[in-house]
Amino acid sequence: MRDARMTQTSAPLRPSRAAPAAVSAAGAAAHASATPALEGRGLVKTYGSIRAVDGVDIALPPGRIYGLLGPNGAGKTTLIRLLVGLARPTSGEAYVLGRRVPSREMLASIGYMTQADGIYPELSVWENIRFFAALYGNFDRERLMDALRIVELDGRAGTPVLQLSGGMRRRLSLACALVHRPPVVVLDEPTVGIDPALRVQFWRHFRSLSAEGATLLVSSHVMDEADRCDELLFIRGGKVIARGSGEELRRRAGTADLEEAFLRFSGADVGATA
Amino acid sequence: MSPRRVTALIRRIVAQFRRDRRTLALIFVVPIAISALLGWVLRDQQTTPVRLGIVNDGGAAGARIAQAIIATRAESSILPLPVDVPASTITDAEARSALRDDRLDVVLVIPSDVVAGLASATGPHLVVMTQGANPPTEGGQVAQVRQVLASALASAVPGAVAAPVIEHQTVFGAANQDPFDALSPFFIGFFVYFLVFILTGISFLRERVGGTLERLLATPVTKGEIVLGYTLGFGIFATLQVIVLLAFTLMRVDVPAIGPLGAFSIGLAVPSAGNPLLAFVVALLLAIGAVSLGIFISTFARTEFQILQFIPIVIVPQGLLSGIFWRIETLPGPLQPIARALPLTYAADGLREIMIQGRGLAASGVQLDLAVLVAIAALFVVLAAGTIRREVA
Repeated sequence: MRDARMTQTSAPLRPSRAAPAAVSAAGAAAHASATPALEGRGLVKTYGSIRAVDGVDIALPPGRIYGLLGPNGAGKTTLIRLLVGLARPTSGEAYVLGRRVPSREMLASIGYMTQADGIYPELSVWENIRFFAALYGNFDRERLMDALRIVELDGRAGTPVLQLSGGMRRRLSLACALVHRPPVVVLDEPTVGIDPALRVQFWRHFRSLSAEGATLLVSSHVMDEADRCDELLFIRGGKVIARGSGEELRRRAGTADLEEAFLRFSGADVGATA
Repeated sequence: MSPRRVTALIRRIVAQFRRDRRTLALIFVVPIAISALLGWVLRDQQTTPVRLGIVNDGGAAGARIAQAIIATRAESSILPLPVDVPASTITDAEARSALRDDRLDVVLVIPSDVVAGLASATGPHLVVMTQGANPPTEGGQVAQVRQVLASALASAVPGAVAAPVIEHQTVFGAANQDPFDALSPFFIGFFVYFLVFILTGISFLRERVGGTLERLLATPVTKGEIVLGYTLGFGIFATLQVIVLLAFTLMRVDVPAIGPLGAFSIGLAVPSAGNPLLAFVVALLLAIGAVSLGIFISTFARTEFQILQFIPIVIVPQGLLSGIFWRIETLPGPLQPIARALPLTYAADGLREIMIQGRGLAASGVQLDLAVLVAIAALFVVLAAGTIRREVA
């Protein structure tokens, strides 16, 4: 089912993409094509009586863009946090590039953009990126400027974040998540609240990251973004209810659009909570 | 522990402060403004000259000191210090009756062992008596007498003399500690503690609420590095604040117009008392504890306003129980162990011992204060690190 796209995009991985700190672990793991970039085995996360993630088994091979789709409260953010090791599963195991997480070292191989911008409003664009870069490794000035250039903020390095528009902040947030050039990029609703032009720009950038060998997991509750992903994971009630390319999911559901496909799949899953 | 990451945290905190002018003003200008206001208020209370009596139990040496004090009569008109110096010494009984009848404000007793005291390293031990009816006013009066005494000792005794230890007795009521003596070190400690706590608390709350902490924790930074980075980053500003505050207090000491300021800074009388560096260390240890306390408390607040709600809970009781307003021994029984567990108590005590009593590292009291402050700071660091929720260390 991941046939056509897979052959298109699984160009030789470029380990140079990985941050120097992460190269040994990430580079080696990425070369072994059998090793998934992200893997969850029997992941369960409960908060009291709520099962936010309810038994997820997934393995995501490297070099592709994965879309995590589901309504608000479906468990997308919790699943992401489990997969990258920012939360500990109640039961089950998570692996990044074949290494068991939670692991502090593996965080160097992950670029994580949260739903909130997570940048310092008092600081300038440059000070923000310099701060996050220093937490990841020793990067020169050019590397930081590159990260800003990609999101077209290089002309605004000295501007305080307070004076930036919402879209610019979102771009800076993305640059801060990618400055260390991680082989695994996890973006939690990266396009929420941004205008269509910027959304197109973001997706173009995601595609180029993927072409360079990075694995991207992008969560969204906007279905029209889904077709930009190589593969989709429908999530509802803490469970992955369907997986496949957009085309394939539509075909399997027998519907013309993904939203209907999603509803069809959720209807089929009796255990899912509304 | 990566120096690069800790440095990044420190640089970031410094940059944030530099952008935030109002907060900078809060750190440096407010303590000075309040201290100045306090000094002004206390100064203007001193309107009438202090009527001094001298009782000499110290024989010839005592007489020499008494003569030196009496000799300042001529100068007292030049000195802005309004002390009405007596023409001769009186007996103890006369002094007490004069105090009771309100004919004298302060009586200075030169004890029989004054010769030994002058020779010893701890300085002469002198007794000052007041009525005991109005401790704040009498405290100011004693401070002024101390000025006269300091200059008289300097002229009466050749060579360097250690600052005199002055025991304050009262005719009425219990022996009372000079309230102003205790205040200026307390204010230094209190300001440092209060402001550092508030700033760290709010700053870390913003990290938690604004999503930057989540992002920080998604990097390979360790919890220890975060707490250390915060401690050092805020420590820079706490250090500057303590330096400015101490310098401000000591500058006042050096102002020749001693009189109006006598009540403001008791340090006036003992300019050489204690090592300012040691006082600085005490205040800094207190500040380090306050950084971690701020991080810890920020867990229990959701908004900046809720951080402010911790002032009456965390800060004010510490001030009240710190032994400055009421000595710990006089507190109700159940409150005493609480007072003895609070960092401000030890900082205030340490600062008082160093700045007023001129004690150094050799004094067991100072050692205890420093040890407890280090222990409390370490405990808060552990607590603070514990509140940073993370699956990996």
